[in-house]
Amino acid sequence: MTGSDPKSAHIVSSYDEDLAALQARVAEMGGLAEAMLADAIEALRKRDVERCREVVARDKRLDELEAEIEARAIRIIALRAPVAFDLRLVVACMRMSSTLERVGDLAKNVAKRGIDLAAAGPLPMMGSIARMGEAARRQLSEALDAFVSRDSELALSVWRRDVEIDELYESLFREVVTYMMEDPRTITLGSHCMFIAKNLERVGDHATHVAELAYYVVEGEPLDGERPRGTASDAPTG
Amino acid sequence: MILPRLQDAADNAEVKVSARNVNVFYGQTHAIKDVSLDIADKSVTAFIGPSGCGKSTFLRCINRMNDTIEGCRVTGTLLLDGEDIYAPAVDPVQLRARVGMVFQKPNPFPKSIYDNVAYGPRIHGLAAGKAELDAIVEEALRKAALWNEVKDRLDAPGTGLSGGQQQRLCIARAIATQPEVLLMDEPCSALDPIATAQIEELIEELREGFSVVIVTHSMQQAARVSQKTAFFHMGTMVEYDDTTRIFTNPSDQRTQDYITGRFG
Repeated sequence: MTGSDPKSAHIVSSYDEDLAALQARVAEMGGLAEAMLADAIEALRKRDVERCREVVARDKRLDELEAEIEARAIRIIALRAPVAFDLRLVVACMRMSSTLERVGDLAKNVAKRGIDLAAAGPLPMMGSIARMGEAARRQLSEALDAFVSRDSELALSVWRRDVEIDELYESLFREVVTYMMEDPRTITLGSHCMFIAKNLERVGDHATHVAELAYYVVEGEPLDGERPRGTASDAPTG
Repeated sequence: MILPRLQDAADNAEVKVSARNVNVFYGQTHAIKDVSLDIADKSVTAFIGPSGCGKSTFLRCINRMNDTIEGCRVTGTLLLDGEDIYAPAVDPVQLRARVGMVFQKPNPFPKSIYDNVAYGPRIHGLAAGKAELDAIVEEALRKAALWNEVKDRLDAPGTGLSGGQQQRLCIARAIATQPEVLLMDEPCSALDPIATAQIEELIEELREGFSVVIVTHSMQQAARVSQKTAFFHMGTMVEYDDTTRIFTNPSDQRTQDYITGRFG
């Protein structure tokens, strides 16, 4: 089902303006978080320290937006007493903002590790990391599209696809462990890579949560049931 | 009379009032169109909808208040405990002792507080003597959460009370005949928020003993006090469901538009 937005406007038009402003901030956060993640992966791959630093600096804007969205949502709840679709939308926007703020933190963390890794020269596992990062970014991007376009079918398909990132994480985990066993001097770099992989896996989980919120706004029911899981027991999924 | 249960109505609860294909006409005006619903016992059912949607008209069918309106015609079936409310043998006055009503504006009789409450039990012969009548009046005033405020001035005129107290007096008057169903037509719209909260608290307590049906313009009030909500629009009942569901995820677009403030 697509496009559950009520067709008519509120009688009190300032209510619509409040909801539009709230959603505009969420859309801005989504765009920023996705761009930060893409740039962090690109900077990491190209060992571009300047760009890594620039990504780290951008996280501040996400924090500001999160606080602003929360304040706006609380204000709408207090003054408008939203119900039905409006209530679901406001609650979803609040949760979107904290989810996207965390995505920003994870992207920042990837960029920080990119600064440390840049000095080390090219790493053999970077191809796998970039692939996993791209998969996570695509998941996030499609989940955000599902939210904005009220597309619960797309939300459901993103939600089911998180298993692919889990699988990439598992194979990357094994790859990094193999390098570290072969040459103990790579343990420091390998640990960084492990954390980066873990961060990207977490981004995948957050993208899944965005998909759940997109589904909830449209359908009014939570996405329930066991999500397919891809990781074996040797890679921590936390 | 046994009627098939409606799927979306009062599940898992004893049905107190059943309506099937109820139509109401005021002369040429078709005010209620084919309404069917079950109202559960010992629960609060709210009717919401824009002005003129028929919610009050439908409420007034349940104790035959519409009988008093010239040119009003009711068709279909309305049952109280399985008995036809509109059967020729039913005396509307006796029916109204079982189905009490509280109105929008508090309307105490120009009598003492005591006599306001004692009025119904007296005309229905519910008390054998003065002591028994005293007990009935006290119990009704206690249930209406008014006893402590008026026990020392039962002879004072009911009209001298505050608006909120007057409305609680009217509720005491309505429950003094020990009705099974209590109909409330916007009982708080003339009251301030404190008095409204007191009435809402009272409704919550009354639910233990009565089937309460409330018509309200305040969506938040419906959300706060009721377990089931019916949404009326242009004489039809658009949606009837658990109150929680109506206010989080209604099925019908018209319900959604109304409760979210998208049309009047």
